[in-house]
Amino acid sequence: MKDYKEINYLVGKKAKLDAFISPFNNKIVTFLDDLSKSINSFNKKKLPDLKALSFFCRKNNILILKNKHFDPNAIRFGLGLLFHITPSNIPTNFAYSLIFGLIAGNSNIVKVPSKKFDEIEIICKSLNNVLKKRKYKQIKNMITIIRYTDNDQVTKKLSSLCDGRLIWGGDNTINNIKKFDTKAKNIDIPFSDRYSISLINSEKFLRLSEYKVLNLIRSFYNDTYAVDQNACSSPHLILWKGKLNLKAKKKFWLYLNNLVKKKYNPPLISSVDNYSRLVKDMIKNQNIYSYKRFNKSLYVVTLKKLYPNFFLKKTKWGFFYECNIQNLKNINYVTNRSLQTFTYFGFSKKFIKYFFKVNNFNGIDRVVPFGQALNISLIWDGYDLTRMLSREIEIR
Amino acid sequence: MHFLKSIINQNAYSLNAINKNKFFKKNINILTSFHYNKSNLYKNYLNGINYNIKNNNNLEEIPFLPVRLFKEFDFLSIKKKDVFKTLFSSGTTSKNLSKIYLDKKNALNQMRVFQKIFNKVIGKNRLPMLVIDKKNNKLNRNNFNASAAAISGFSIFASEVVYLLDQNDNINYKLLNNFLKKNYKKKFLIFGFTSNIYLNLIKKINTKKVIINSLSNAYLIHGGGWKKIEEKKLNRDQFSSILNKKLGIKNIINYYGLVEQIGSIFFECKCGYFIASNFSDIIIRDENFNICKAGQRGFVQLFSLLPTSYPGHSILTEDIGEIINDQNCNCYGTGTRFLIHGRLKNAELRGCSNI
Repeated sequence: MKDYKEINYLVGKKAKLDAFISPFNNKIVTFLDDLSKSINSFNKKKLPDLKALSFFCRKNNILILKNKHFDPNAIRFGLGLLFHITPSNIPTNFAYSLIFGLIAGNSNIVKVPSKKFDEIEIICKSLNNVLKKRKYKQIKNMITIIRYTDNDQVTKKLSSLCDGRLIWGGDNTINNIKKFDTKAKNIDIPFSDRYSISLINSEKFLRLSEYKVLNLIRSFYNDTYAVDQNACSSPHLILWKGKLNLKAKKKFWLYLNNLVKKKYNPPLISSVDNYSRLVKDMIKNQNIYSYKRFNKSLYVVTLKKLYPNFFLKKTKWGFFYECNIQNLKNINYVTNRSLQTFTYFGFSKKFIKYFFKVNNFNGIDRVVPFGQALNISLIWDGYDLTRMLSREIEIR
Repeated sequence: MHFLKSIINQNAYSLNAINKNKFFKKNINILTSFHYNKSNLYKNYLNGINYNIKNNNNLEEIPFLPVRLFKEFDFLSIKKKDVFKTLFSSGTTSKNLSKIYLDKKNALNQMRVFQKIFNKVIGKNRLPMLVIDKKNNKLNRNNFNASAAAISGFSIFASEVVYLLDQNDNINYKLLNNFLKKNYKKKFLIFGFTSNIYLNLIKKINTKKVIINSLSNAYLIHGGGWKKIEEKKLNRDQFSSILNKKLGIKNIINYYGLVEQIGSIFFECKCGYFIASNFSDIIIRDENFNICKAGQRGFVQLFSLLPTSYPGHSILTEDIGEIINDQNCNCYGTGTRFLIHGRLKNAELRGCSNI
């Protein structure tokens, strides 16, 4: 790649075009395990997102993924060179994007956010540290991490070289990047802005022991407040199913409020953001049955009903909409291509599986129990990434 | 809405604490119920929060409208055809502009109150004014952005107006020296936005090109905050001492106000406090919107008796401030004294939106 003054190389400099290997290559597995250890040792502040990342790329976990996603009978190789454009506000996201690319067997150029997060620094330091080892000489040719402030010339050049682009961002960012020409066979995988919902069985909830209630609330907290409710996978709308909704809601929010008051410490502006959103909803006066402001970081707006083409709003800082749902089929009122994750409590996996199989919902790419909303995996946003980022040689 | 008539001709700080509170409380309640009846959007808000309209609610109980909603809604308590002038906040994109709609009566009241406050602080005589900005050639009488509104508002009290910058933002030294030669012997005004004063009078100006000792009679009036150069922010003492050493300017007066409540402006007194006039008041709220005591920092909620054409009489700003209880300050009347500590910072979110 030509040298651009504007580019700041954080890791590597020479991701090669033809450095592809087979998916779940053993070298990659050991490399990721070393990376996991290295991140752990540099993570002096014990940042939780780095802990999660380190946990994700340790050998045991990668082997579990291999077991699930690797077909030993197929002959597959990475596409070649991937160009990752990663989101500016999640510090560790670029690392997951890179890991997906590596696992699928690709060479990678990763553009990281211009904001200088501690996490990015530590991950790059760890990568550089592990890549020093001679045994990873080949992998060194597969990783380049760069930072540049928006520069169309650079994006254009990289787009013309790569075989696949992973584009994380809002709709505008994605459409902008798509304007740059690529090789004809290039594959774009857009991870656009999404929102998410939850479904709770109120009777099951009320039957939980005190201990289990606290656990469930903690799971919900981790799905939402741990990322300021601003992740695409954090629920924004909570649907209640059952005859005891009123009682269940009261208990759920009360318990959540206790945890939020204890644990959550958002910036000042969140108070104004949340109140402004409430007033905006009041002024528009649409479909609101009632609201409750538990504290600055827990607002619950109860909607009158779901209706066809219901427009769901993405919220943050602990602002939730809720609604009763008597007929589960009405979930299709809220589903559209922007709906990503559906977290559930109080329904069996068997039922959920059947339910999603027989209902062709437009949207919803992930259905997971409470507490797993943010667990990133090789199937993401509906894409089977190891497959999409590699090619299979058909042999008869 | 005739209550303004009774005080609009008085000195803007005339009411003592007891009378002010009584007068203010009564009329803020009148305004709340007036806007409730005239603006459907405002009515939806008040109904939404189950607000109980009364005539004697305390200031703390009056609902506040978050200032950013003026960017999303067209708030009007008058008929559209009666809009006489529209003010815009100085945002960068048209999508992000606050829009304030004024009818003739509201516009006139703003001007008269502004003049009353100005007279008390600066004096009654019209003075020559040097504006630290460039002339806006495309000024439209009916659509003002906030900065144009401020410059034109202050210009009303000037006997002559000269702009320091040419159309390329360079300092016009010839014009400056001509202005100073003519006016330096007597009191005159310098007006500009704080960030412009910093960029031009502190950073850019070449003092060798300016007639020496010609600025000691200047009253420098500035406001609007540091905005895009927040990281360069100087405190009040640093700001004054540099301007004094560099240019010999002795009188520096900061002002604070919202375009949403133009007219009921606050000037800084000699003790360094902003002081509420008969027409305005302030409350500080903590992050849960509970009332802060004097000396505690929090969100600034501003009241003004002037907005009649739009429901802007009680606004929650995104500024951080603090009420000061200083018995030793005798400047302009007994109104609430306060400090402004800057704007709320935009948060760095975790999560994947907002790319």
